[in-house]
Amino acid sequence: MKLGPKAAAAALVLSASLALTGCGGAANSGSAAGAATALTLGTVQDVRSWDPAQAHVGHVLQPYQAVYDTLILRAPDGKLSPMLATAWKYNAGNTRLTLDLRTDVTFSDGAKFDAAAAKANMDHFKKANGPQMAQLASVKDVTVVDADTIDVNLTAPDPALEYFLSQAAGLMGSPKALGTEGIRTEPVGSGPYVMDKAASVKDSQTVFTARKDYWNEDLQKYQKLTFKVLTDLTARTNALVSGQVDATILDPKNGKQAEGAKMKLAANEVDWQGLLLLDREGAKNPALANVKVRQAINYAFDRKTILDQVMLGQGTPTSQPFGKASGAWTEELENYYTYDPAKAKQLLKEAGFEKGVTLEIPSVPGFETQISVITQQLADVGITLKVGAALTNTYTADIAAQKFTTIFFSLFQGQPTVAIDQIVSTKALYNPFKNTTPELDAKIAAVRNGGADTGTLAQEVNRYVVEQAWFAPLFRVNQMYYHNSKVNVTPQIQQAVPSIYNYSPAK
Amino acid sequence: MIRFILKRLGSGLVVLFVVSALTFFLLYVSSGSIARNILGDQATAEQVAMKEHELGLDQPLVVRYFSWVADALSGNLGASWFTSEPVANSLATRIPVTMTMVFAAMILIAVCAALIGVIAAVKRGWVDRVVQVGAIIGDSIPGFVIGVILVTILAIQLGLFPATSTISPESGPDAWVYSMSLPVIALLVNGVTGGAQQIRSAVIKQLERDYVRTLRSRGIGEREILFRHVLRSAAPAGLTVLSLQLIGMLGGVVIIEQIFALPGMGPLAVAATGQSDLPVVMGVVMYTVVVVIVVNLLVDILNGWLNPKVRVS
Repeated sequence: MKLGPKAAAAALVLSASLALTGCGGAANSGSAAGAATALTLGTVQDVRSWDPAQAHVGHVLQPYQAVYDTLILRAPDGKLSPMLATAWKYNAGNTRLTLDLRTDVTFSDGAKFDAAAAKANMDHFKKANGPQMAQLASVKDVTVVDADTIDVNLTAPDPALEYFLSQAAGLMGSPKALGTEGIRTEPVGSGPYVMDKAASVKDSQTVFTARKDYWNEDLQKYQKLTFKVLTDLTARTNALVSGQVDATILDPKNGKQAEGAKMKLAANEVDWQGLLLLDREGAKNPALANVKVRQAINYAFDRKTILDQVMLGQGTPTSQPFGKASGAWTEELENYYTYDPAKAKQLLKEAGFEKGVTLEIPSVPGFETQISVITQQLADVGITLKVGAALTNTYTADIAAQKFTTIFFSLFQGQPTVAIDQIVSTKALYNPFKNTTPELDAKIAAVRNGGADTGTLAQEVNRYVVEQAWFAPLFRVNQMYYHNSKVNVTPQIQQAVPSIYNYSPAK
Repeated sequence: MIRFILKRLGSGLVVLFVVSALTFFLLYVSSGSIARNILGDQATAEQVAMKEHELGLDQPLVVRYFSWVADALSGNLGASWFTSEPVANSLATRIPVTMTMVFAAMILIAVCAALIGVIAAVKRGWVDRVVQVGAIIGDSIPGFVIGVILVTILAIQLGLFPATSTISPESGPDAWVYSMSLPVIALLVNGVTGGAQQIRSAVIKQLERDYVRTLRSRGIGEREILFRHVLRSAAPAGLTVLSLQLIGMLGGVVIIEQIFALPGMGPLAVAATGQSDLPVVMGVVMYTVVVVIVVNLLVDILNGWLNPKVRVS
């Protein structure tokens, strides 16, 4: 048994060569390289259920838009325009919204879209217990006025209702399919695309083809649409750079790699990051009851430097929790708290805490760097940040149970009432200690009844929580949405990923 | 032999039961308000209560466990709390992906490790040293690092392979081979180097035994000694190593599948565990335990076939 060095070397590389020789076929560079009218998007997770009542927000809404039309269409700049509803109007008290509906739309199973179908969808949404069920919480009932008109009757005015009808609550599925087992795995809508179930693999890819005779050609720009599920950030980067997907969401660090491969960025500010000083009445941490302590915390941060170092500058420093597109945002609150350690110390002294304050916060997976930087900056003014165990998947329940007096988080910046019910009002999850004052209650009530002026009225709520230092926002962060040169992408306000209508083939 | 197999299967069932109970109760302790996790941070307390009732979470834990056992015994593993997809469906679509990869890697590991190990043991000298050094290097680089390097060079730079999986029903077997090549290579490097090392020492040990010297003194050819006697005696050690590697691979494959976005058991296990999606986690755990039991049983049977002494004991 004589083996020369050559043979031995060959044996060493056998593992690789065996695997390689088995696959000498032609390279397939992915569907993106096919017809110019195919679009492949890298998504973070698969759709849990195709029942429209189970739809969520932002990137979890996008796939639903491929198969379901909404009653109202939301343009990239946030303006609402007709879709399945051609016109809509409130009564004088803003308690009844009347919608006129299109009469030329059918669902992919042949059922006709009409007032009864719209009512069936909204009734289904109200009882299906989906993640966005709260969107129709103010809706008492829906009545069919005639074949193409419905009345949405409210228990109280809800300035966000029209917006909600452009989101999950507005998705219209076939009334024949609603509530059946089938619609969970195969959507039945009136939208621009229909699912190619045979080509789709759960948690891997979902394939859609253009629906013939779709009523609105302007919204149907591709013949084939594929959502490729790429949970792992590295996998998303690799898929984009190698041309397997045309667009996907990355982060600033991986974005550099994508930029190196000539990918284009469609950046968009959607979330804010910072501290939520939850225990404002001092139920568990008396120091937090003092507004000067809360303000001192705000003065302790060099927001610009943190942004540059941690987020590679991708975002805008801010002192206000309300987003720029909400209408509640004001220029004067943007830099309300500038970096001023001396002032922070002075405020602590005035509050009687010159010996220092201790705050306890949970560690938050993914935000370790931010937390360690703010720990340092707070220490510089005499505030000790004690970082505890990490938030687990039970964090929402833990927050609701008042387990934390302060947390660091990244939160969505929505429409004024959406934001208020997320972080300010007594029913907001992120106001677990139910803090409020008569003054704030009045301001919130004004927003809810404000009709067209909700944005301006919400500025007062914004000003209140900024002056009272309910939070210590650091910055709004850019969502790093990258795409190749084969596709044009328009960012959608308040969404990390654009609506499906915002993509078009590059000429 | 049949009694032996039945005994092993019986103890396997006990293990299955114990592991299922442990997993169920441990997950219960760590899961907290699962209903709220499902509904997200904008759900109201009423919604949460409604969901808990819907999922049967308002029942006592022991009742829930035994109703799970009863369902499982009748072949019903339940449905995901998050997606409502039946667990049996999830497993049926994902196990083939993972198992194809694991078995392809195992077969290659067995062939390559045996070849390299035997050559190193027989030739010794510089060949052996190269194998030894290679084993240390191979062992010290984690599979996922190899995966990332392979993607960067072979997929992104050279465009020879897809960077992430392109498996779908419409793609033919060539797409499968294509998508699986890089993950399989990433999986097998550690196995080959580790396996070769073990097989090398087992073969060397046998070559030093008296019976080899006796055979040689009788003028029997080296080739015959090696293939008819030494390899047969060294095989049990090799088999044990391979079975351990296969079981270890069930863990390693999780990360590899994430990197290559393969719709196998890995992403399912990670997502379900992160969300405390109990029915799915239970399904994944049951699958893992069954694989471990079956692999161990097969190795015992094979060992018995190779070496009658094992059977008796």
